[in-house]
Amino acid sequence: MLKKTAINKISELAAVLMEKGTLIAPVKEVSGHNFAQILDPQKVDLDFYNTIMSPKSAFFPHKEDFINYKVGKPISEAEPVVLNLKPMFLFGVRPCDVKSFQIMDIHFNAAGIIDPYWRQRREATTIFGYAFDLSKSVDSADFYNTLGIYAADPDGSDIFMVKKDNELLLKGITLQGKKLLSELTTIENGKAADKKYFEEYIKKGRDYKTRFMCLDQETITKKLEDIFHNTDFWTRVSSACLSCGVCTFVCPTCYCFDICDDTQFGRGTRRRVWDACMFTDFTLEASGHNPRTQVYQRLRQKINHKYSYHVRKYGVISCVGCGRCTRYCPVSIDIYSIIEEAIKT
Amino acid sequence: MSASNPYIPIPVQISKIINEVDTNDIKTFRFTFLNKEDEKKFKYLPGQFAELSIYGKGESPIGIASSPTNSGYVEFTVQRAGTIVPGLVTSALHDLDEGAQIGLRGPLGNSWPIEYLTKKNIVVVGGGFAFTTLRSLINYMLHKDNRARFGEITVIYGARTPGLLLYKDELAAWEKRKDIKSIITVDKGDESWRGREGFVPAVCKDVAPSPKNAVAVICGPPIMIKFTLPVFFELSFSQENILTSLEMRMKCGIGKCGRCNVGSKYVCTDGPIFSLADLDGLPRDF
Repeated sequence: MLKKTAINKISELAAVLMEKGTLIAPVKEVSGHNFAQILDPQKVDLDFYNTIMSPKSAFFPHKEDFINYKVGKPISEAEPVVLNLKPMFLFGVRPCDVKSFQIMDIHFNAAGIIDPYWRQRREATTIFGYAFDLSKSVDSADFYNTLGIYAADPDGSDIFMVKKDNELLLKGITLQGKKLLSELTTIENGKAADKKYFEEYIKKGRDYKTRFMCLDQETITKKLEDIFHNTDFWTRVSSACLSCGVCTFVCPTCYCFDICDDTQFGRGTRRRVWDACMFTDFTLEASGHNPRTQVYQRLRQKINHKYSYHVRKYGVISCVGCGRCTRYCPVSIDIYSIIEEAIKT
Repeated sequence: MSASNPYIPIPVQISKIINEVDTNDIKTFRFTFLNKEDEKKFKYLPGQFAELSIYGKGESPIGIASSPTNSGYVEFTVQRAGTIVPGLVTSALHDLDEGAQIGLRGPLGNSWPIEYLTKKNIVVVGGGFAFTTLRSLINYMLHKDNRARFGEITVIYGARTPGLLLYKDELAAWEKRKDIKSIITVDKGDESWRGREGFVPAVCKDVAPSPKNAVAVICGPPIMIKFTLPVFFELSFSQENILTSLEMRMKCGIGKCGRCNVGSKYVCTDGPIFSLADLDGLPRDF
């Protein structure tokens, strides 16, 4: 099933989705685009390259409340926070970011103990993937081709969207996506020419080139294990790092979090908040011992986690090459170059 | 932890507090479960840990000091932290009285490998405060239903001073038993100390436990571990047969928050118990 709508009528589609549930879509903010819950359908703006923050916050919000408690009251009176989710529509997600959900699913929704918050949000959501605009030039930071992802890759989306001049073509990919699309009766059905355009667009996406290196998963994992104690290498590549943690916050696959109690006037909330392995107190123990006091140890941890530890644990590299960490690093540290150098070391 | 949500603690009540040391900063807290169902579900083995949870302060991962053979309660020996970093939870816990309620999430982590230890001679080596899950293991093995499953049990336990030895009544009781060889040492004794003096590594060398069909289970401060391991290598214990329990800063305790990894292993779920052979394949990042 393929449908289409004029891009200048996207607010009408947004309004329909808002009636059905919660719509999260790109909006224009002062410094660029970001995903936000849509309250005014006119705010949905598909004229973007990629968002500053990744869409992971739809399933793994910056703050997730666990329990509300009162200090000094019996523990049995503490109230777990119940999510009560409406159907959620995550609209306009680039293919590399869609891929990140599959990687995060392994950690939060498949391996070991299941994270109930990620699972509930994920199950409530229909993902509208959105192909990169092949007529525009690729950002120099992106390298998702290296991770086997293409600019118009529908894999992982429930509905996949491509831009055709002033129109948006929408195709149902999963059963869930096809069902939802059939319910969207206010938008018109695509024609045979649209179907052809859509299929060709997917194919052309393979020729839309980001930075690329031939990266064998086992080779890079083994290499990083071999150079773990090469302090000269890690000191050199991390010499400019400020430990600001921006790379982890914009990253679609970074999931480290803190659990903290926020109490005011005798009432409080235990919640998780994003944390970053780039911070010096991340591993500071009560005894005062800290295995990662040095910047190079922390950058080494981050890169190893993505390209080595995650492979050993879950069998997949935890990076989608979206380029955000490079794009927003205040001192231009580029993970792609570090991996490239590591291989040569 | 609650049945439906691993982040929600279950309620427990402090039924007994034992002041373990003369510096007053290490206490054993005995907890009873407020709900019978929680008690039934809290099935653990020696070596596991749990998150002690005080709303408004936070959570601390602490090794379980009681043995699963002690039914009806669970014990944790907790040091008041705060000399270097603020120990919010441990300080708050130390300020509580019997009858107070706190939260508990667990049991968490792997355990001492009971199956592997069965029919073997067990050499338990502990130093200072790091004796808590070893005490759990010893009491588990000494229980009348379990004792026959294990070979000889040798315990070498040391503290800096006699006043810093934990579980003094139990240490005295073990010395009287014939089915456990218990060697207690202090770095420096006082006027009333009639026992052995000397550092744990030197005592291990002196006792020289046989590696034959034996497993060494070693926990202590890093400096003790550093000098004890060569003694056991010299005694020809293999890396597979030297076990220890690792510590890393933790938050969730269930392998999700990304904090306590050593290489590809999470101490909270793949550990805290590792053999030296396990650790050999991991980066030295702890």
